[in-house]
Amino acid sequence: MPNLQSPHWPLLIELYFFLVGLAGGAFMAAGIADIFGSKRDRVVTRIGSYLALLALLPGPLFLIIDLGVPSRFLHMLMVPKASTNIGMSAITIGPFHIKPYSPMNLGAWALLGFGVCAFIVALSLYLEDSGRARELGPVRGAFGAIGVLLGFFVAGYPGQLLAATAQPFWTNARPLGALFIIVGASTGMATIALILSLRGAEVSGSLAKVRRAYTIAVAIQALTLIAVFMAVARGPAWSASRSAMLTSGSYSLVFWGGAVAIGLLAPLILEVRDGFFQGYRQGRGSVVLASVLILVGGFLTKYVIFTVGQA
Amino acid sequence: MARTLAMFTDTSVCIGCRACEVACKQWNQLPAEEPQWTGSYQTRSHFTDKTWRHVKFIEKIEKKDERNEPKWLLMSDVCKHCNNAGCLEACPTGAIYRTPFGTVDISQDICNGCRYCVSACPFGVVAFNHGTGRVNKCTFCVDRTSEGMQTACAKTCPTKSIEFGYRDELAKKAKKRLADLHRQGVKEANLYGEDENGPLGGLNAFFLLLDKPEVYGLPADPQLPQKPIFKDAGLSAGTAILAGLGAIVAFRERGNGGGGEE
Repeated sequence: MPNLQSPHWPLLIELYFFLVGLAGGAFMAAGIADIFGSKRDRVVTRIGSYLALLALLPGPLFLIIDLGVPSRFLHMLMVPKASTNIGMSAITIGPFHIKPYSPMNLGAWALLGFGVCAFIVALSLYLEDSGRARELGPVRGAFGAIGVLLGFFVAGYPGQLLAATAQPFWTNARPLGALFIIVGASTGMATIALILSLRGAEVSGSLAKVRRAYTIAVAIQALTLIAVFMAVARGPAWSASRSAMLTSGSYSLVFWGGAVAIGLLAPLILEVRDGFFQGYRQGRGSVVLASVLILVGGFLTKYVIFTVGQA
Repeated sequence: MARTLAMFTDTSVCIGCRACEVACKQWNQLPAEEPQWTGSYQTRSHFTDKTWRHVKFIEKIEKKDERNEPKWLLMSDVCKHCNNAGCLEACPTGAIYRTPFGTVDISQDICNGCRYCVSACPFGVVAFNHGTGRVNKCTFCVDRTSEGMQTACAKTCPTKSIEFGYRDELAKKAKKRLADLHRQGVKEANLYGEDENGPLGGLNAFFLLLDKPEVYGLPADPQLPQKPIFKDAGLSAGTAILAGLGAIVAFRERGNGGGGEE
């Protein structure tokens, strides 16, 4: 194995990856419910938008306190006096810089943009619901649409960031961006379902829709996870052999038990039973269980991926 | 851009005296570190924020006529100053930049200590400094080279194992040395990073090795980690579209009384 050095990113960063993915997924569901759903589905838009903003809030703080020089967090976007020759296709406008080949730089920009969109959408919903303003639909539509795209970006860029390193497993796990996006979608929608399940029967129609949507996401998540392992297997031996740490090594319990059984199999079985055979007629317990399983499984999926490259 | 500067480290004449390590520490005012037990005479297993040049001592036991023949491979390792540098591309702040000499340097005034470059270096060169909260690596003695002097390690090396100069001249020298060694029967000798059409667009600190790169802890085929990024992004976009379509299918009104009508 080549001599490499680990960045030693703490678990706080993984927690950020999880929350930002959840925010992107929740915002996506909110936007789609707004455009394609019925009037009753506005509850999904409301919960999804507020949830996205809330999940987003602690993230930047986690990132900043992990920096070696926290006061320089703005350097991610701008520096007083930039150097020339800072990378392929880098764009410098005044004090600002955009580096298309640095997922961390693009991610910081996307996080800023997504934060603005999520804030405006949440504000427009609040103003409408509290009767202080009317007909903010077009504003919400514009910022919602841009926000959904940026939300996918912020959900996926951490995976892309890990794949664009030289670390074993990560460096060959090219579909990590895809995996992080779909984990974001499933966990975001599972959280919406969890909140909806606390409401009464009047939201049962919307709840069934959210459950259908996250079931599709969990199925895609299973396929994406397989794609990640297939990509890693094609890498050089020193990187490909890291997979064994998940499948049979020290993290196999978290991987098979957490990422696979809790995160994929159990919720899929529950949802197929509840939705396909019983038309979502059962009580609150079932959806609470399925959503919590998806959340725990999604967190552990990102956790094992995050850990295996730094172990 | 000025003519590209380079260092050529010929490991075949390295005697493992570590003068390069000491010269590097002296010039760059880097403190000494507690030696590590690595199983050989090597005092560090990897680069640190305070060790930018370090000599690898690799003991290789070969079977020859039923006997074990030990063989020492010595290599003074350093930042490769890659023409396509993973650390430089990764850096979100633009602190890592390419100097007019074609080498790679880190601006300590800009670095915010995110450590992304540490993970992106295929050679494990960049190291985090817990004291300053920034990252450090070989600067190619930018304060010497910009004044027309050679790097401290090259200046000190008593066997001329480390040579400093213009890249094109050193590459010629390296090829000639390789041909000489091959003629003398040292078949395993090979150049690492000399070829500008090779991996990472060539390394500006390149090496003559006496065994396969893997034996020295170097990747056989180093890759720029960011290279396939746009292909990956396509995969991500496809997955995002699938997730979105899944949600649209779930939310769309089907006229089955599942939700209220608009």
